[in-house]
Amino acid sequence: MNHGRARCSARPSPDWGEPVDYIVLAQQIANGLVNGMTYVLIATGLTLVFGVLHIINFAHGEFYMLGAFFTYFAAQLLGLDYISAAVVATLAVAALGILANRLFFWPLRREHEFTILLSSLGLALLLTNGGELLFGADPKYVDSPFADSIVQAGQLVVTQQRVLIFVVGAVILLALNLFIRHSRMGKMMRATAQNPEGAALTGVNIRQVYTVTFVLACGLAALAGALVGPTAMIFPTVGSWAVLKGFIVVILGGLGSIPGALIGGLSLGVIEALAGGYISLGFAQAIGYAIIIIVLLWRPQGLFGTARRT
Amino acid sequence: MSNRIFLPLVIALALAVPFFTANTYFHHLMVLWMLFSLLALSLNVIIGYIGELSFGHAAFFGIGAYTAAIVGMNFGLAGIPGLLLAAVMAGLFGFVIGYVSLRIVGPQFAILTLGFGSIIYTITNYWVDLTRGPMGISNIQPLGLWGEGGVALTGARGYYYLTLFLVIAFAYACHALLNSRTGRAFIATRENAPLAASLGIDVFRIKLLGFVVATAVAGVAGAVYAHYLTVITPDVMSLQYVAALIIMVIVGGRGTIAGPIIGALIYVVLLELLRALGPLRLVIFAALLTASVIFLPGGIVSLWRRLTGEETKPREAAE
Amino acid sequence: MKKTRWLLTAAAAVLAGSIFGASAQDKEPVRIGTIAPLSGPGAFDGQLAVEGMEAMAALINENGGVLGGRMLELVKYDDKGNPEEGVSAAKRAIEQDDVDVIVGGWFSSVALTMKEVTRDRILNIMTSTQHPNTTKEGHKLLFRLNATSTMMSDTYSRFICDKMGLKNIAFITINDDYGRLEVENYRKLLDTCGIEVLGNEFYNKEDTDFTTALTKLKALNPDAIYVSAINTAQGATIYRQIKQTGYQGTTIASAGNMNPKLVELSGRSLEGVYSVSLYAPDSENERLKAWVEQYGEMFSNEPAFIGTLGAQAVELIAGAMDEVGSARDYEKLAAALRGRSWDTLLGTITFDDIGQAQQNIYLVQVKDGKITSVKE
Repeated sequence: MNHGRARCSARPSPDWGEPVDYIVLAQQIANGLVNGMTYVLIATGLTLVFGVLHIINFAHGEFYMLGAFFTYFAAQLLGLDYISAAVVATLAVAALGILANRLFFWPLRREHEFTILLSSLGLALLLTNGGELLFGADPKYVDSPFADSIVQAGQLVVTQQRVLIFVVGAVILLALNLFIRHSRMGKMMRATAQNPEGAALTGVNIRQVYTVTFVLACGLAALAGALVGPTAMIFPTVGSWAVLKGFIVVILGGLGSIPGALIGGLSLGVIEALAGGYISLGFAQAIGYAIIIIVLLWRPQGLFGTARRT
Repeated sequence: MSNRIFLPLVIALALAVPFFTANTYFHHLMVLWMLFSLLALSLNVIIGYIGELSFGHAAFFGIGAYTAAIVGMNFGLAGIPGLLLAAVMAGLFGFVIGYVSLRIVGPQFAILTLGFGSIIYTITNYWVDLTRGPMGISNIQPLGLWGEGGVALTGARGYYYLTLFLVIAFAYACHALLNSRTGRAFIATRENAPLAASLGIDVFRIKLLGFVVATAVAGVAGAVYAHYLTVITPDVMSLQYVAALIIMVIVGGRGTIAGPIIGALIYVVLLELLRALGPLRLVIFAALLTASVIFLPGGIVSLWRRLTGEETKPREAAE
Repeated sequence: MKKTRWLLTAAAAVLAGSIFGASAQDKEPVRIGTIAPLSGPGAFDGQLAVEGMEAMAALINENGGVLGGRMLELVKYDDKGNPEEGVSAAKRAIEQDDVDVIVGGWFSSVALTMKEVTRDRILNIMTSTQHPNTTKEGHKLLFRLNATSTMMSDTYSRFICDKMGLKNIAFITINDDYGRLEVENYRKLLDTCGIEVLGNEFYNKEDTDFTTALTKLKALNPDAIYVSAINTAQGATIYRQIKQTGYQGTTIASAGNMNPKLVELSGRSLEGVYSVSLYAPDSENERLKAWVEQYGEMFSNEPAFIGTLGAQAVELIAGAMDEVGSARDYEKLAAALRGRSWDTLLGTITFDDIGQAQQNIYLVQVKDGKITSVKE
């Protein structure tokens, strides 16, 4: 009831004229695109792990959380500037990916998918609660020189940090795409994705493929954490939010498809911003889910997924 | 064969347990165990029999809880009719959602259920006139036989017997189902859906049947929970509960009847025992959970089989 | 042979235990069931609250404890900021651990449900919950320290109306009991002094990004944005993002939520922002100074309002127990608390018939990164 009244009065008064609406619209789309790019960065790692190794990794969001916290501690304890801290954090978490794979995923590769899923759920709980213990319960802020600097284009307002998220996201994605398409490792990953047994027979080192995939995925998640860190406060439970968004995008775009993650992530960001901006903020997420349901019912393999019958 | 002595013994023990102590908190834990057992058994129908993963199960639990609370509050129907209505309501939602989603399999199905669950959660959170939104509904009256007046369950002991009865009844139903024609159809569907279809089994109908039963039972559990705790909020639909239920089913042993019940016991007891560890509690819990998955991929139940040598690992031999 | 010796030793141990137990009986600690959010999104606020209680308990114990030498001991429970967990924790505290009193109710949703478990069974001090119904539907053993959101907004709206010179205002509020009540109150109060409420956006307790909501509010071009945020992390993000969307107007912080960590995390974006609080950090109260000093010795955080409420609860419990001469005679303890005014670290406090506290409400403002009280 309150809500209804609020929305009525929220309608811009007529004397502002029409143009204001377009600026707000453009602003919301810009907000959505930046949020969407963070979803893309999170989702790309997930889709890679699923596409290549057929693993649903619930702990993926925790690597996002670790990326943000490592950036914070690298800046605080080592006295690094934001950019160096973000790079150090990304590399450190990517290295942790090797460990995570060796302990939690590689040993279970022959088990049922539900078992692996639960192992990753256990890892997620371990990292969140361990994080709460080690990092403390107090929220933290990753300081970045770009966080509060505003870039103004006409009447559009975006912070430099948000521009940075978008640009770095785009560049990294392009680089990843080139790596997967053209490098030897990338080819081995694609071979494994299509047929693990066949790939192994033709001499692909499956163990190496596992390692590289996890390193890339964890690194991407950490990079997202390092980039998003300065736009909000961080606390040890942020990962559960990240992994959910990641899954939605991955399914929307098509499991295992990197272009799918890109389009899926950006569209989800924009849809949420527009739904929140013009329908109801409280329902923005629900509307996002409704769209995913519709897409999946129409194309179960996702927007860019290749149909796979089971 | 050994089951013939073993099972009545276990049931007799379960009936006697509340009289070992007058400690009402212990009774409270027993009720939680039984409620989680009922939920885990119902989720097991989806995970263990249909062979799909549902992230929306807590939503059906929530629908049952809210139905019972709202109906009790507005119409004074707090008794058995309330429980039945909760089952019907949750089952109805289960039917619609299952009908739409069950044609899709694998991770996509899991995300579909996640989506439906989240939408139900959001609506519960915002439909303040009906559900009181995030404030939740409190002062829900205890479970009576026929609504207000008459015999009402107040103590934890009464709820324990009610939930124990429900668990035994549902466990028996699962057992009977598995050994029936329909049950064999279930297993055939899970193991190889195309083959099952070619044998003339209506795969979709079988799956839908399982899904509706599972969601209706979750609804009953939700209704009992609402009456027992006398307070519910949209948090009962949160993913935390889904994760907890999935843990119970898989750690205990999916596709079995003892597994989810043991999983629920471990979940309740372990978290309670670890309370003494303070902030380390959840870290240790997570570590134990992960270790159990890595070293006992078949669940706790498989340990039993390994010890008694009943199973000769046919599945691994096949690989 | 061996067995009998073992039995003898065991018997001796039991005997010794019962003797020592008996002598320790009169020195048995007074156990305060402390139910707070210790994990999840509210964990930090819960930590501040419990630290405040610990510091006050340590102060009292240093001075000989209560009831002629019994020490105060906190038995902590995690309610995760969740009503059901709060109910379970209260059940455990009463039925399993047999605590003497319960302090809790940091979040309204938890307080509103937990009071049904404690109803007429145990002395229950509710702390920071601002929902009027905590006491309105309370019970004879229930007391609440914080001002209700209605009391807070009565004071605050007078200042907003008289001193801030606003023509209109927009709200961003949390979608729960507290947030919904805030908007309802202020709509009425600000309407009477001619400040137009242009709009309100609800956010959820799990949200981490507020740019969509703030873009919407900024487009309304209000003179001020009122932020209702209980959670420190969400609050800090909102204050920063308000500036990041390029909003130039006034920011107003909701009552009772200003704390040093929030100021630290929000950086420049909180400079000059007003709030109201029961806690004026620059107060000259001697009890407060002793507590702040003790707090500094024990913990690395800076003391916050929520911590002072915890401390006040401990202080009142100790005072009432000493006056009554019992830790368990709840009727008498409740009568004692209602009976007179009490000097505490936050100044004088009295309770009305339904257990609602009346205390001073101060207007505070962030100046040079410090929370200071505004002298009128």
